[in-house]
Amino acid sequence: MRDKLLHAPPDLDPFATDLPRIPDVLNRRVNADPESLEKGLAQLVLTLVELLRQLMERQALRRIDSGGLSDEQEERLGRTFMELDQRMAELREEFGLTEEDLNLDLGPLGRLL
Amino acid sequence: MSTTIAEREVALVDLVDRLLGGGVVIAGDITLAVADVDLVYVQLRALISSVATAEEKGVLPRMGDAL
Amino acid sequence: MIELYAITDNPGPPLPDVAPPLELVPIDGLAAVCTPAADAEVSAATLWRYEEVVEALMADRDLLPVRYGTRLDDERAVARAVNERRDELAAALDRVRGAVELSVRVAAAGTEQASPAAPHTSSGAEYLRLRSRAKASRDRAARALHEPLSALARASVEGRPRPPELFRATYLVERDAVESFAEEVAGLQEANAGLGILCTGPWPPYSFAEP
Repeated sequence: MRDKLLHAPPDLDPFATDLPRIPDVLNRRVNADPESLEKGLAQLVLTLVELLRQLMERQALRRIDSGGLSDEQEERLGRTFMELDQRMAELREEFGLTEEDLNLDLGPLGRLL
Repeated sequence: MSTTIAEREVALVDLVDRLLGGGVVIAGDITLAVADVDLVYVQLRALISSVATAEEKGVLPRMGDAL
Repeated sequence: MIELYAITDNPGPPLPDVAPPLELVPIDGLAAVCTPAADAEVSAATLWRYEEVVEALMADRDLLPVRYGTRLDDERAVARAVNERRDELAAALDRVRGAVELSVRVAAAGTEQASPAAPHTSSGAEYLRLRSRAKASRDRAARALHEPLSALARASVEGRPRPPELFRATYLVERDAVESFAEEVAGLQEANAGLGILCTGPWPPYSFAEP
């Protein structure tokens, strides 16, 4: 296979983090058993939750940048998002899903995460 | 092959992104194999796409005062 | 079953001599390039082999690569499916004519961590500050690179970076402009010591095949 790297940085590690999941992605494309369908539903639900979490977090950051919140409100907001982030990690683990599993492809907008 | 393992790995990541996430989409057998879930994914993706676009353009309503 | 590789012009140059042997299904001014589908186990090796075929085709013609794993019953089904979207596909082929795809991904150089640390901070405000800094870092990387690179491309698609990436985008570049694009990337790397820039390609125009 011809060399595809037109320019490589000194450290390639940040660009190969997806590698472990590739076998899963490939297998999912050709499997259609009930178990993977059920997992697929959990994946859908959590992806939606993750989308909303990210949207809200980004909006909160914008609101803070525009200086519209008190220190106390900022602190409460931050704690809420932090706990939400933690809870999402727990839910993902419960269903055996990785962050990448919730990384829905938005087409021209790229991926979710 | 003169490329290192790391180089082959990152090239593979870029390849997989393209083969599985890009290219012309023509209704084919494998896409339909997980038919029900895939159909929902297509609709969900359309929904998320429009929400994300609205968000980027700043047309989503501001967060409530409860926060 | 038939496996699809690409959509291209009809008529066109003779098909490359590869294994498995390729066949052409003509649909008006377009043609689908395919083979009888094999029941191969999906692996990195099979993906590279698929890519090799598409690139062999791309060597002497313009094409729209088809998503991997697209299989139809027979040639009639292929013709039907392509015909359904004939005008869109013809337009897409015109859009990518004479061009290839280049991928650019950017991360912070050195040990600087770009990903937000969530559970380890105890302060909500600190958590938000980290998130905000991470976002600012991503925006800076995007601004520094996307403008000069887009100027060298016919089209571009910005993707959402996957942590610890700061920025990622795909560029549609004229076939004979690939080298100068790579030179520009090298120049941007020199000018931005805090970033690590990865550029791969040329790829068939996977990211520009669909509207």
